Amino acid sequence: MRKLKKSSDLESLRKRLLAARRRIRSTIVICGGTGCQASKSPEVIAAIRAELAKQGMERQVHVRATGCHGFCEQGPLLVIEPGNLFYCQVKAGDAKEIVARTVKKGDVIERLLYTDPVSGRKVRTEAEIPFYQAQDRRLLGRNRSVDPCAIEDYIAAGGYSALAKTLAGIKPEKVIAEIKASGLRGRGGAGFPTGRKWAECAEEPGDEKYVVCNADEGDPGAYMDRCLLEANPHLILEGMMIGAWAIGASAGYIYVRKEYPLAVRHARIAVEQAREFGLLGGNILGSPFSFDVEIARGGGAFVCGESTALMASLEGKVGEPRAKDIHTVKDGLWHKPTALNNVETWANVPAIILDGARRFAAKGTKDSKGTKIFALTGQVKNTGLVEVAMGTSLKDIVFNIGGGAKNGRAVKAVQTGGPSGGCLPVDRFDLPVDFDTLSEAGAMMGSGGMVVMDEGTCMVDVAKYFLGFLQDESCGKCVPCRVGVDRLLEIVTDITEGRGRREQIDLLKDLADTISVASLCALGKTAPNPVLSTLRYFPEEYIAHVDHKKCPAGVCKALIRYSIETDKCNGCGSCLRACPHGAIYSGKKKVHVIDDKECQKCGICVAECKFAAITVN
Amino acid sequence: MQQHVTLKIDGVRVQAVKGSSVLDAALSAGICIPHLCYVPVLRDSGACRLCIVEVVNDGRTKITASCTLNAEEGMAILSNTERIRKLRKNIAELLVAQAPNSRAVQDIAVRCGVKEVRYPFRNDNCIQCGRCVRYCSEYSKADAIGFVGRGKDRHVEFAFGFRRDLCKKCGFCTEYCPMSVTPCGGSMKAGEGRLCGNCDSQIASLEHFSGICFRCELGKGFKCTRQ
Repeated sequence: MRKLKKSSDLESLRKRLLAARRRIRSTIVICGGTGCQASKSPEVIAAIRAELAKQGMERQVHVRATGCHGFCEQGPLLVIEPGNLFYCQVKAGDAKEIVARTVKKGDVIERLLYTDPVSGRKVRTEAEIPFYQAQDRRLLGRNRSVDPCAIEDYIAAGGYSALAKTLAGIKPEKVIAEIKASGLRGRGGAGFPTGRKWAECAEEPGDEKYVVCNADEGDPGAYMDRCLLEANPHLILEGMMIGAWAIGASAGYIYVRKEYPLAVRHARIAVEQAREFGLLGGNILGSPFSFDVEIARGGGAFVCGESTALMASLEGKVGEPRAKDIHTVKDGLWHKPTALNNVETWANVPAIILDGARRFAAKGTKDSKGTKIFALTGQVKNTGLVEVAMGTSLKDIVFNIGGGAKNGRAVKAVQTGGPSGGCLPVDRFDLPVDFDTLSEAGAMMGSGGMVVMDEGTCMVDVAKYFLGFLQDESCGKCVPCRVGVDRLLEIVTDITEGRGRREQIDLLKDLADTISVASLCALGKTAPNPVLSTLRYFPEEYIAHVDHKKCPAGVCKALIRYSIETDKCNGCGSCLRACPHGAIYSGKKKVHVIDDKECQKCGICVAECKFAAITVN
Repeated sequence: MQQHVTLKIDGVRVQAVKGSSVLDAALSAGICIPHLCYVPVLRDSGACRLCIVEVVNDGRTKITASCTLNAEEGMAILSNTERIRKLRKNIAELLVAQAPNSRAVQDIAVRCGVKEVRYPFRNDNCIQCGRCVRYCSEYSKADAIGFVGRGKDRHVEFAFGFRRDLCKKCGFCTEYCPMSVTPCGGSMKAGEGRLCGNCDSQIASLEHFSGICFRCELGKGFKCTRQ
């Protein structure tokens, strides 16, 4: 490929690509994101390709394997352009029919359409699906038009024009002013104003500076950054290039965790392609700006998502945080000024430069602008990636987009912000989702994990789960986090196992306060949030565990007992056969009885009983 | 020539060498901020968090460790407020519950006002202050020992678990270890939740203090050797 030497080269390449596209009859877009890969989309892609080849149509019909479309629950997803006909839960076996009927004849295959759960109506396009209707997919919406392994797709879709515009004549100060005006705040969790960070970094003397992309996303249930990097790596590269130009950096790093093999691969391919096209390297697009990016793989430590630990890890040291009294914009990677931003933050940059700060700031609330991507997971009908304007209420996200809880249960709470975030009860679902409101409510925006919990969830058990995660992932350097979180877990475990005492609840609060103030880094400072937020919104559950030795949700094994209601049991024997511990035996009148001593409280019998005769109390 | 900055610690004007830490400045002025992982000749680490202070800036306070905080001109530091004493006490309580039979740790705990321990005792032999590790790498330049593992599993270990040959046998790791300073034969038996408060100051014997001493409030309740 010929290198692009000036911005007009980029434009003429884009024109050629678009002209070539017009010759294609139609495009079959298949989601190849991690979610759809799990539901076997690679098989679908291969089957469709094979079928097209068999029919001799591979020249007229283009197959585009893209990154995540968002509606992971219904994957694998398939869209046929033009017309945007939307098929879901496609299997490899459907390939023949899709090619023969839909591609060739334009027929719609009814059974592959999405059924609106409310109206029961079959819908034909994304635009008609409630899951998509309530969203504002400025970033995610671009995924569908780009094959992450083809820079040509990104360029054809308008990519790198923000970079070209910047290099053609926007001074670094102007770029920073634009980012400042947009009100963009860091999407990694803390919500620090990006423009201010860049300005401070640009003001630092010296010509050796760095930009870093933090793709070490590790919150349980969160996969926004993963999908962005997998689906549209050039968007992130373009953002980093603009940032590097603004602060005066000539080198950048993408720190991505090795557990994201697809993201690593796509980022590597993207960097190679960008180098090939002359978009990375010396004198980019004929300007004096030189910049290159390296991909660094993280080793799987959650704490390496913390900026100073990440930089230590990049330097080849143990990934432990250091005190941040001197900010990383002054003393960062290799003691040089460094601008570190999250994947989603970088991804927002090109559009701000291209369309202007005003357009970006038009969405959102007073202090939180733009859109935010959330990974909606847990006991919710429509799991997937969701992008909404800042300030959208939790209710809209969980009920309108997420469709409420599964299996006819009621939603109890939502956990935002990953392990460092908090649990908000359903009566606080009117809250608008933005940085400050969530913090005030005791939760956190975090990087955007959103785990929905239904009435079968014990909040003390949830706190225990997150504490266990954090205790495992604490680097262990400072006392409040290493020892303190471990003690929190010890106390919460006591409570869930029936050894809890009233004064331990006060001790929890006291210790949580100490950890949140005195810890070295943000991991420790936010580690007590799961305990504090559940204590704040669900105190009655703690009291029930401590005073009455009962788990209201029936989750904590030490506090529950399974029993069979004599009037409902007809002695069919299915629970008896299903019990793996041999804890059920048949009494004289054929009514079954559970032996408490043998019962391991696995719950298999409850699922097995067709007469709802087994109760938990 | 060395440049100096002037800052205020607990209302006292203190001069410090530019680039030194707030803890250095306080100690050299005779203001006793409790500390454990800090060793004057070694780089700060900010691990034990006992030396936390309040930094007052425009009426807003921020709590941070004083060993990792650079002394700057015009800084206002409060090292002994009620809030700080409470936090410090809680941290010391966590430490003494991990290592109830180290006299040095008990001493620190008593100095920070711990009378009762609300957690079950664990008899860990290491509180991971990292003095030995830092001494080994920074002063002895041996890098024979280091931290291995994460979170609860973190521990001090020879390289790869077996490279004892890197050790120069200088012995400073044990000398600087708060656990090896006179193990306590006193009242801290398992199941006992009270600190006797009769410890002599053990850590102080390891540190270099200036001759001046304000006989701070912190000394109350324990026998500070300098009172």
